[in-house]
Amino acid sequence: MLNLIKRDLLLSFYSSANFFFTVSFFVLILILIPFAFGTQSDQLTNLFKGVVWIALALSIIITVDRIYNADYEDGNLDIIMQKNKTIEYLVISKYVTHWFIYCLPLLVILPILSFLFYLDYLETIQIFINLFIGSFGMVFIANFVSALTLGAKRTIFLKAIIMIPLFVPFIIFGSDAGSWPILLGLSMLSFVISIYVTAYGLRLYGE
Amino acid sequence: MNELKIEDLSCKRGESKVLNNINLTIKSGETLVVKGRNGSGKTTLLRILSNFITSYQGKVSLNDLSILEDNLYNNKFNLIGQKNSLKDNLSIKKNLELWDIIFNETLDHAKLLEHDNLDRLINRDVGSLSDGQKKCISLYRLNYNKYEFWFLDEPFVYLDEVNTNSLIEKINRFNENMGIVILTSNINLPKKFHKEVNI
Repeated sequence: MLNLIKRDLLLSFYSSANFFFTVSFFVLILILIPFAFGTQSDQLTNLFKGVVWIALALSIIITVDRIYNADYEDGNLDIIMQKNKTIEYLVISKYVTHWFIYCLPLLVILPILSFLFYLDYLETIQIFINLFIGSFGMVFIANFVSALTLGAKRTIFLKAIIMIPLFVPFIIFGSDAGSWPILLGLSMLSFVISIYVTAYGLRLYGE
Repeated sequence: MNELKIEDLSCKRGESKVLNNINLTIKSGETLVVKGRNGSGKTTLLRILSNFITSYQGKVSLNDLSILEDNLYNNKFNLIGQKNSLKDNLSIKKNLELWDIIFNETLDHAKLLEHDNLDRLINRDVGSLSDGQKKCISLYRLNYNKYEFWFLDEPFVYLDEVNTNSLIEKINRFNENMGIVILTSNINLPKKFHKEVNI
């Protein structure tokens, strides 16, 4: 499991363009808000709390093909599955690396962005906590969608159509400051379902 | 001494039966060449032997223990499939570093590539290589040492005469060290191996 985490981190370091695309995409979506809605501070602050979740959801959707599909297409998934007989460990290591590579950088730049949107210190911490917890749930969902659609080519729209409704509860509760326990529950539920379904999807691929 | 036994093996892919009552025994130091028409089930057989396909009729056992029940079995074989397992956007060197981590073994890449006459390409992106060169790099995984079986799916495709002979030499050396090789091939090989079966 640790080997796979190490390998995926090194791979993302070698293919760092993907990482920068995701971060840039996230930032650009948020930067568009003032262009559309003006620069009034109260309005911007409120909008930011909701749009940041939409930006996170879209950023995760564009990375979904990189979870299993890239390794499937070049044949590395066979080697990885052979070396990790307990597929659940493989899935957990993918959760860790996917979150670490594509969600953590977004959380790191969040304080800078929230400063631009006139959020105070307390509001920033509340959004950070919600995003931190909710992003795990979204990663769990992205993983099982990726595993279930393995081998299907050019299906990013199909994946988006499956994932967006599943992201809705996170977006609804995420913009409310005190709702982190609900997000935690949603993330835990996503984990339980995702680990089973993802492992099933990967076994199905093996067959 | 290992003995890999396939008994009454049948397997369906979708509605069609691709393997029908296969019986084979292969022992340490032997190579089995599996031949057959396209779609006859050669790759399916290798995927059954590699424990990827687990729903089949019949029994596959290593030293009388079913491979489905042998927890250590997955660490005993090295499978080289038809896909090259290479990232086109990365250099050979970076690809090999990624394999080192997965295989948990650090090889002296410069030295081994020099032996295969590929050392001059080490910093080239895999995407810019020919299919034959990619195949050679893919077969580089045979240098990882800890395995008792090699399962090779069409390993000679794209290889020129020199590299074909070099691979045959590697297989012979592996057999001498009591390794078992099962390979699929539809081309006429310049050397007869121990066993050949048509499916």
